[in-house]
Amino acid sequence: MSVTWLARKLTVVAGLAWLVATIVFLALHMVPGDPAELLLSTGGVSPDPASVAELREKLGLERPLFVQYAAFISGLLRGDLGTSLIDDYPVISEIALRLPRTLELIAAGSVIAILVGVPAGVFAALDRGGAFDRAASAVTALLLAVPVFVLGTLLVLLFAQTLRIMPAGGFVPFAQDPVQHLKLLILPAIAIAKGLAAVLFRMTRAAMLDALANDYVRTARAKGLSPTRVIVVHVLRNALNPVVTVLGLQMGTLLGGTVLVEYVFNWPGMSTPLLRAVEGRDYPMVVGIVLTISVLFLLLNLVVELVHALLDPRVAHS
Amino acid sequence: MTISRRTVLAAGLAAPFASLPLLSRPASAQRAAGILRYGLSAFPPNLQPWVSTGASAGTVKMLIHRSLVSYGPKGELRGELATSWSLDGDGAWVFKLRPGCVFHNGDPVTAEDVKWSIEQIAGEKSTAYMRSQFQSVERIEIPDPGTIRLVTKTPQATLPSWFGNYNTFILSRKSTPTEFIGAGPFRLVGQERGSSVEIAAFDKFYKPGIPKLRGIKFVVYADENLRFAALQSGDVDMIEYVPWQSMAAVEADPRLKLDSQEGPFMDVLFNGSKPPFNDPRVRRAVAHAVRREDIVKVAFFGRGKPLEGLPIAEGTPWWDKDLAHGWNYDPARAKALLTEAGFGNGFQTTLLATAQFGMHKDTAEIVQQHLAAVGIQCELQLPDWSTRVARGSKGQYDMAIHGVSSDNNDPDGLTVVLDTTLSPSHGRSFRVDAPRTIAALAKGRAEFDQAKRVEIYKEMQRAALEEVPLVGLAWRSQGYGMDKGVMGFTNLPGALSNSSGNMLEETYFG
Repeated sequence: MSVTWLARKLTVVAGLAWLVATIVFLALHMVPGDPAELLLSTGGVSPDPASVAELREKLGLERPLFVQYAAFISGLLRGDLGTSLIDDYPVISEIALRLPRTLELIAAGSVIAILVGVPAGVFAALDRGGAFDRAASAVTALLLAVPVFVLGTLLVLLFAQTLRIMPAGGFVPFAQDPVQHLKLLILPAIAIAKGLAAVLFRMTRAAMLDALANDYVRTARAKGLSPTRVIVVHVLRNALNPVVTVLGLQMGTLLGGTVLVEYVFNWPGMSTPLLRAVEGRDYPMVVGIVLTISVLFLLLNLVVELVHALLDPRVAHS
Repeated sequence: MTISRRTVLAAGLAAPFASLPLLSRPASAQRAAGILRYGLSAFPPNLQPWVSTGASAGTVKMLIHRSLVSYGPKGELRGELATSWSLDGDGAWVFKLRPGCVFHNGDPVTAEDVKWSIEQIAGEKSTAYMRSQFQSVERIEIPDPGTIRLVTKTPQATLPSWFGNYNTFILSRKSTPTEFIGAGPFRLVGQERGSSVEIAAFDKFYKPGIPKLRGIKFVVYADENLRFAALQSGDVDMIEYVPWQSMAAVEADPRLKLDSQEGPFMDVLFNGSKPPFNDPRVRRAVAHAVRREDIVKVAFFGRGKPLEGLPIAEGTPWWDKDLAHGWNYDPARAKALLTEAGFGNGFQTTLLATAQFGMHKDTAEIVQQHLAAVGIQCELQLPDWSTRVARGSKGQYDMAIHGVSSDNNDPDGLTVVLDTTLSPSHGRSFRVDAPRTIAALAKGRAEFDQAKRVEIYKEMQRAALEEVPLVGLAWRSQGYGMDKGVMGFTNLPGALSNSSGNMLEETYFG
């Protein structure tokens, strides 16, 4: 893997990020809806047109579109994503505040998914055709079929409204109240984990079955190694390779998938400002958030590719 | 003390289990401290005192700021920073300030602060909600330090109610564009962006014993079902905008209670700049074609009331039984009116609403069905709310569904929805000709004699029933849900329901 290869990849990431920013910027300005009017008409009836004109001027919305675009791109090159049209708050600060929460949710969800999905997959493979295998496969099918917001709502209904042992949703910073923070994290993390756990289960089960069929397993057993040692050292180590790859790729999709979960559980990650910004036509905020998610997604893919390249030098030269 | 990685991990894993016993009584600690946890429906876009940023922001703003007047539990205007107000012989409104009121910085509230605040609202560069009203104030005089005299360009019978609006606050002249110094019963003490706002009692508030709470923590639950779930699970003590489908569940829960009022209403708006809705007979046909009970049942789960006239609340002096049913459900009459207007065979048109709010979409679907029954075939247009607003104010529609609340319970508060000569807005019909209605509104605004005003507004209703600047569809309930231990709160009647947040100053735990 050469520096040129990496530089080329990074240029592609930068180019794609610019494309995403431009498309989102233009698409947003093309759909109807005036941020100034929306901001001032929250009472149901539109405000004085003079007030709207005043605000439009203040927000710089009176300038021609290409001037706004040029200002936006030059800001972007300086690392400035602009300020929110709704509350004059820097977009970058909003992202700095919200992104860690979204990533925390993804991390917690991934941990749960790994802790549940991988062992269940292993046991199902070992129990091929048995009661556990069939039950776990059925549950997985169900989990994949149930939409995340349905599961989220059911969790709230069961644990918050009926049993009253969990909060319905919301957020408390960890530093302020660690216990409450973790309590609020559990249900959304389970909802996030749902799909990933099911995928990991299937992947692990299939990879384990593949690995179990290999000659070296028979050899290991023939050598008289304990069954646990055979499974852990010989089978699992080989079976986990594809599982890790799938996990890396799925993390990217989780970025998008958290939007619904955050909404259902009132978790103030990236989704709330994104929804609010789209509804209020808060152009800089929408572009900033979409751009951040896109760049993260692109970088994650680059990392996966990088790992591949490290493992298999042919990838870097292809 | 050193904390190892293992300790942290162990604590993290054990925490959910260790805390289980605490979870069953989540409200007790906060309640003992006198902190009310309130489920807000939207995070305030900002807390600028004079810019309309919605009723949820209004609830917070009403508690940290104060105006000359506010509304009492029965919807009556009551003194706040002013003790009394009256008209003088020259037709100017004179307000007497209450002695002993102080701002949060400790400064007394003076007539100069009142004058400065009004000037900011009416200012050249202002984006205030009440800007145009206050621009009709010709001059502000301070005859003595405790008196303010407002001379208006034209007579304004309802001027005192302008100060009851939750976008009209009196601020200290020392306020800056980023720091607003108010005189309300609470002070803003913190906010977690997008999630919560905290206010604490102001100990120098001018009403003895008010506020009764030590503080309020507003937690934002944008999703209405989660807001209800938070109330039911005990995460919060009180919520606003109880979803209609959950009102029965709140009433049925022995731990909870519901306070609902019919205030906001749904209506049909028209584009009067082109046929067929430039003809009042066609608009009247629409008014007679819709069976309102269906809207109340389907869109509001029975939590509302049919509205077959202008949105004037029953029980007020302005209400008249016959006029209130002037647009009764009568499909035969609707067909006859269409025939008379030359549309005996019906016509094709469009109906604009939004899919973003279920009540708008459901109402539109029912209206569509009833109109089809008399020959008006509507194509539904259901864009997101932002697009709906833009198309409404540009007149890019034929008919539209809207949901709104009057400014207050005086018929003059309907001006914003009835006066089609005002600037185009998504909340009122586009270029519909209703000269007699509008003239009557102006006449009512300039008349100070109550008996005469009652007659004028009945005349206004008669004119509107013929000119049809809008078609009333349904009153809808606006409900607050709360724990049974929450006392002292009153949901204000009618259009004032959105101003009920002010009552949180009198709320306490029983």
